[in-house]
Amino acid sequence: MAQTFPYTYYACDCYDSNNTSSTKRASQLLQEAEEDERTFDPRSPRANYSLYPLEHLLYCEDCQQIRCPRCIIEETLNWYCPSCLFEVPSSVVKSDGNRCTRSCFSCPLCTSPMQTFSLDMTGESAPPFILECQYCRWSTLEIGIEFEKGQGIAAQLARIGNGGKHIPTNKERDKERERRKEIEGRKSRDLLSPSTESTNTDADRADGPPSHDDLFSNLTAFYKSQVDAQTPSNPFSSHDINFSSPSAYSRIMNLYSTTGSKKNKRNKPSAMREVASSLEGLTIHDPANDAAAIERIKKEGWGVTLSPAQKHAQINPNVRFVDELRPLATLLCTKRSKRCRSCRQILTKPESKITSTRYKIKLLALNHIPRLSIRALNAMPPAAVASRTADAFDYNALKPGMPSHFLLHISNPLFDPIKVTLATPSTTPGRVQSRVTILCPQFDVGANTDIWDDALSSSLSPIKRGSITDQAPQIEAGKIWDRGRNWTSVAVEIVPGFTNAVSSDGRDELEEDEDVLEIPIFVRIEYETDAGADERGLGDSRGSKGEKERREEAFWTVVGVGRIKG
Amino acid sequence: MSRPVAKKAAAKGEYIETLQLLFPSITLVATLPSSAPLTSYKDSGNKVSRRSAITGTANITLGGRTVIMADVVLRGDLHSTRPTASSSGKEGTPTSISIGKCTVVSTGTVLKPPCRMSRGAPNFYPMKIGDNVFIGPNCVISAIAISSHVHIGANVTIHPFAVIKENVKVLPNTVVPSAMVIAPGSVVGGRPARIVGEVGEGWGVSGGGAGGGLGVGGGGEEKWVEGGDLRELVRSIR
Repeated sequence: MAQTFPYTYYACDCYDSNNTSSTKRASQLLQEAEEDERTFDPRSPRANYSLYPLEHLLYCEDCQQIRCPRCIIEETLNWYCPSCLFEVPSSVVKSDGNRCTRSCFSCPLCTSPMQTFSLDMTGESAPPFILECQYCRWSTLEIGIEFEKGQGIAAQLARIGNGGKHIPTNKERDKERERRKEIEGRKSRDLLSPSTESTNTDADRADGPPSHDDLFSNLTAFYKSQVDAQTPSNPFSSHDINFSSPSAYSRIMNLYSTTGSKKNKRNKPSAMREVASSLEGLTIHDPANDAAAIERIKKEGWGVTLSPAQKHAQINPNVRFVDELRPLATLLCTKRSKRCRSCRQILTKPESKITSTRYKIKLLALNHIPRLSIRALNAMPPAAVASRTADAFDYNALKPGMPSHFLLHISNPLFDPIKVTLATPSTTPGRVQSRVTILCPQFDVGANTDIWDDALSSSLSPIKRGSITDQAPQIEAGKIWDRGRNWTSVAVEIVPGFTNAVSSDGRDELEEDEDVLEIPIFVRIEYETDAGADERGLGDSRGSKGEKERREEAFWTVVGVGRIKG
Repeated sequence: MSRPVAKKAAAKGEYIETLQLLFPSITLVATLPSSAPLTSYKDSGNKVSRRSAITGTANITLGGRTVIMADVVLRGDLHSTRPTASSSGKEGTPTSISIGKCTVVSTGTVLKPPCRMSRGAPNFYPMKIGDNVFIGPNCVISAIAISSHVHIGANVTIHPFAVIKENVKVLPNTVVPSAMVIAPGSVVGGRPARIVGEVGEGWGVSGGGAGGGLGVGGGGEEKWVEGGDLRELVRSIR
């Protein structure tokens, strides 16, 4: 997602810990950071996986740590179709797969949803029906499929092949296989003919190679029969279970293992045989098919072929041409609850109803971690938030070498006042080195008390400006810029680096996004909270009732200021 | 094509707006009679730009504290023709566009109810937009329903009969194909739109925690978040 400047990302500290289960306390983390003097590099490949916007982060109250999507466990609550918003029971998902079995289809060409239309011109909804994509106008007419009913498209489509051919059901396939086997068996008995002839007759009857589904069902049936033959009397399992049991699996694996495994051979002297005919699922590569495909591309051009994405989305992996496409049933979505990976506490749990968007449990980092935001100091549109007008500061064109001032705004969601210590490397990592100075790296931020406390306690106009001084704030080292009820802002001086200086060091042009000015800032907060108020009773060994407990929190953030243009 | 919203100083009188409501929890829904001048929006706290082009005001419902910016086109005249034929009289004015509370429609956006041909004649269907919806500049919206807490970026086209559920973010320059249903909590983008991600759990939760938004009067700090309560944003538009 393209982020607009300025932005702030928060680094989950799982980025440098190998075992996510380690529950490091903030003080330990700080110690380690001090010890090896390492600074967080937002450009390292690892950082890609640990930087998140604050809205995506959760907070484990037991571990007292930020939890990112990498250090949580997800549990599926239920499945639903994102298109018709019906819940699908997990048993149906197991048997029918993770696709909608109603009438939800997406276009195989452009992925937009397909709608059912009647071809009847009288205006009544009468058969025949087709599926059509309203975005690219692809319809099932192009693959020769029409439906008799407007509902239950998935069931109808399962029976109609491209060009209106009938697709046999599994039962029909089984019957057909039996019938052919019988014929084949009779023939081979009569003529004692070699297998070549029998395959010829197969090809004659099936006119063309068997379909993907046919092959699959043939193979399944063959292996099932093989396993059944191998284990004729297994008292513990019926035939169906037997097929997928571990013993059958190991036997199949034996087929492919080398002759070295003699032990097994002694135990099971009769090895399973491989497929020998197309009735058993054998496909012999036919060069004529390739030649035909090449001929077709020669004649009709690339237009009839599929893009990799289109091909990938199809269920049959061997599809090559547009007339082989099938409408895609919509993939199901899940509702998930999330747990902390180290202590298993539930972090979020949505209501199980599909239509509900509420949560039963939701522990957000937003409510535990101060929010940092940066903006240019000279651009001071007090109320022009909505209309980002042209005269606003252009974050996409920072001038190199020109010192400019920014405001770093820290707001506190906690109910206790916090002490904040900020640290940043004096030059930003990366090839374009910008100098960064936080003028006041240590300051306090007020508690997130009731909004009216502020109004009642001070006689100044509380809503307009909660600033501590009446005169305009000054940019001065060691002094905060401004302060309000639960927020403090400090000035930051930034000298953007020279982008052209990079080319002199031997390497050529900037790579993508190397001219983006990102500042890693280490944030450490310290606060005293009511130990008794901790509802989970953690740390209660020290704090008796009413006693205060000191807590600290430390994490890296990356502030994206803008793009240097020079 | 569309002019940017004029700066605050020049914008005096830009919006036909109401006095600040004393009790923000009270909401008034205003349905305009067709003859009434636009000033009758006043009691509901809506802010409607003088430079917006609104047709068929009788068929448009604004939920209160809703902002219609300059150069916005609301096609209220495209209402369903069939029900009016049966129920005559002023009571049964058909609704063509209904917009919820604290919804912001940015400059140059066109809201046009979706249309379908039935029995050889075009028939329009009412469009419903929920609360706290932000619609970016220069969009063309023909969705049948947009639920609450939806954020739509700039230059988005939404084709007829699309349904956008709660907590959805539509990235800028997206084209949502017709009849697409966007499930709650998704991020969509591209042409045609496809789901590219999920919004985080913190979507729409303003940063300050339970007490109240970001710092009050934070010196120009944004006090609203995408998908969150847009009341502060509405208040800041003048």
